[in-house]
Amino acid sequence: MGLLRYLGSRAGRLALSLIAVSIITFGLLQLAPGNFADIQRVTSGATSIAGTGTESMLAETQARYGEGTPVVEQYLTFMQGVVTWDMGPSYRYAGRAVEDIIESAFPVSATLAVLAVLLALLIAIPAGVYAALRQNSKSDHTTMFLVTLGHALPNYLIAAFLIIVFTAYLGWFPSSGWSTLDHVVLPVVALSLGPAAVLARYVRSSMLETLREEYVTAALAKGGPYRTVILRHALRNSLIPLVTVVGPLLAALMTGTVFVEALFRIPGLGYYAATAAASRDMPLLMGTVLFFALIIMVMNLLVDLTYGFLDPRIRAEGGWGRSRPRKVSTQPA
Amino acid sequence: MTMTEPRDGATAPTATEPLLHVADLHTEFRREQGEPLRAVDGVSFDIAPGRALAIVGESGSGKSVTMRTVLRLLPRTARTTAGTARFQGRDLLTLSARDMRRVRGRDIGMVFQNAMEAMNPTLTLERQLTEHLLWHGICGKAEAKKRAVQALADVGIPEPERRIRVYPFQLSGGMRQRAMIAMAMITQPALLIADEPTTAVDVTVQRQILDLLAGLKERGTGIIMITHDLGVARYFCDDAVVMYAGRVVERAPTRDLLDTPRHPYTRGLLGSSVEVGGRDRPLAPIPGSPPDLARRPVGCAFHPRCAEAQLPRCREDQELIEISTTRAAACWRAGDDDD
Repeated sequence: MGLLRYLGSRAGRLALSLIAVSIITFGLLQLAPGNFADIQRVTSGATSIAGTGTESMLAETQARYGEGTPVVEQYLTFMQGVVTWDMGPSYRYAGRAVEDIIESAFPVSATLAVLAVLLALLIAIPAGVYAALRQNSKSDHTTMFLVTLGHALPNYLIAAFLIIVFTAYLGWFPSSGWSTLDHVVLPVVALSLGPAAVLARYVRSSMLETLREEYVTAALAKGGPYRTVILRHALRNSLIPLVTVVGPLLAALMTGTVFVEALFRIPGLGYYAATAAASRDMPLLMGTVLFFALIIMVMNLLVDLTYGFLDPRIRAEGGWGRSRPRKVSTQPA
Repeated sequence: MTMTEPRDGATAPTATEPLLHVADLHTEFRREQGEPLRAVDGVSFDIAPGRALAIVGESGSGKSVTMRTVLRLLPRTARTTAGTARFQGRDLLTLSARDMRRVRGRDIGMVFQNAMEAMNPTLTLERQLTEHLLWHGICGKAEAKKRAVQALADVGIPEPERRIRVYPFQLSGGMRQRAMIAMAMITQPALLIADEPTTAVDVTVQRQILDLLAGLKERGTGIIMITHDLGVARYFCDDAVVMYAGRVVERAPTRDLLDTPRHPYTRGLLGSSVEVGGRDRPLAPIPGSPPDLARRPVGCAFHPRCAEAQLPRCREDQELIEISTTRAAACWRAGDDDD
């Protein structure tokens, strides 16, 4: 199958999946107890919605969806908004359209995610290779212990620790906000340590497996310098399966990291999605959930393409990675 | 000895100076607990240029470990404790890592049992055929590519210009095995070590592979063939060494070894070989199985399986006994039936 035809069929299936996700989400939200006005009233201590500033918004939404219209019609109206990228105003963030919020928050989350994954790989690949080359030695055990420590600590704890040391005590980095490069450092570090641990274990075991391959011995038997053989023959092949882990990891981080974004007061997607859910901000919630689904699916498609690009056996099958065993993401929430 | 072999130079190998002289080689494997396993236990043999030597034995007899000891490609748990491996006047076991690397692939080529496993699945043939030419500084990239195409043509692979761009999995099994031989001989090594090169291929391909190796031999390359197939040994090899439990139990010209085996184990191997035994002789497999190296029998390691064992005597250590200038066997009765 040619690449174009493959992409076409994948895009078609992707659209179908998105429709399924939207129906399920919309249905579930209809069943969820409470609505925006109630939640606002309860949290503000008021006894009626009068004076909370939500009246005008409710009126606007009612006008948009039509009061008392059937659920199916509401759904279709919303989906029309999705397709035309005009999903109407958020309840919670008065005056901002859902698509505006996604457009402004996604680049923030994406930047964080890409940098965190890069840093994680930068830690994981050398650590994993180092440990694998010295399997079962003291340096192997020490490396893997340190790495596992990063996995055992939840990222918000690491974040809090980083703030205490580098902001409160040393004063090197700011603890909150998102405007200069300084703001990026601590959250990226906090986000990367957990994934780095997962990836390092993965690199180590994959590398150990590859080192046992006969073609590594064969390359040495041809007189290959140790370093060249390790890098060109062993490392390259042992990193191919890593793509299947990195893709979902990237997607998980891109869809936002609620705790870390909240701790550092970063206006990322996770933060908006969480507040939307808490306050039953239906338009924003539906918008973000669908957007997350899209990101995860696109990321899986990219993984498959990369896999086919890296491994000629899969490319030759024409499946572009469709036949490979899929690894499940191990990203903690 | 063949016509193409250099005879006038000072470094030209002569009959008295073998290409590779292995003496008293010992390699052991570390274990979690207990004594190390003596996988190679005092192995010696010689090979001259333009000759083929078979190393015969069941799996686990130490054939492959012996050759990996010579090339110093042992796993980390293995250690060579004694012995010499003199190749072109230098002891390979005491060379620096860098000098050893220059020998591997350039002066000694290695052919593996299964090309599917011994070739990198994600690199093209071109890359795998040329990389060691570049590592050893034998030629530049363009020349290396030319040689790779020629090498594929030499082993009878059609359309070598196109095939050089494919990946190993895109070749048939027989072609893959021949491509691996091309990879080993592209540097024109003086010695080729072939580890069961015909075990994983069809019989028709087997013949092609052996003919290819025979061509190399005629051009003066020394070939060591690790095999458990006596038919292959008889067809191809001038001399043979039979190994059992890490030791050489018999050494002889292949023809003599097969016609008049002197060690009971060699006789057992012949008796259990379908091809060599022939139709008129019933198959007589050796009873029992090769010994666990951790529980090596005292004295002659073969005696618990040996039909001719006489007990007190066979429990004593048994050295190789020279029967003639070309033959030796590690059985105290090997000299008796000399006629």
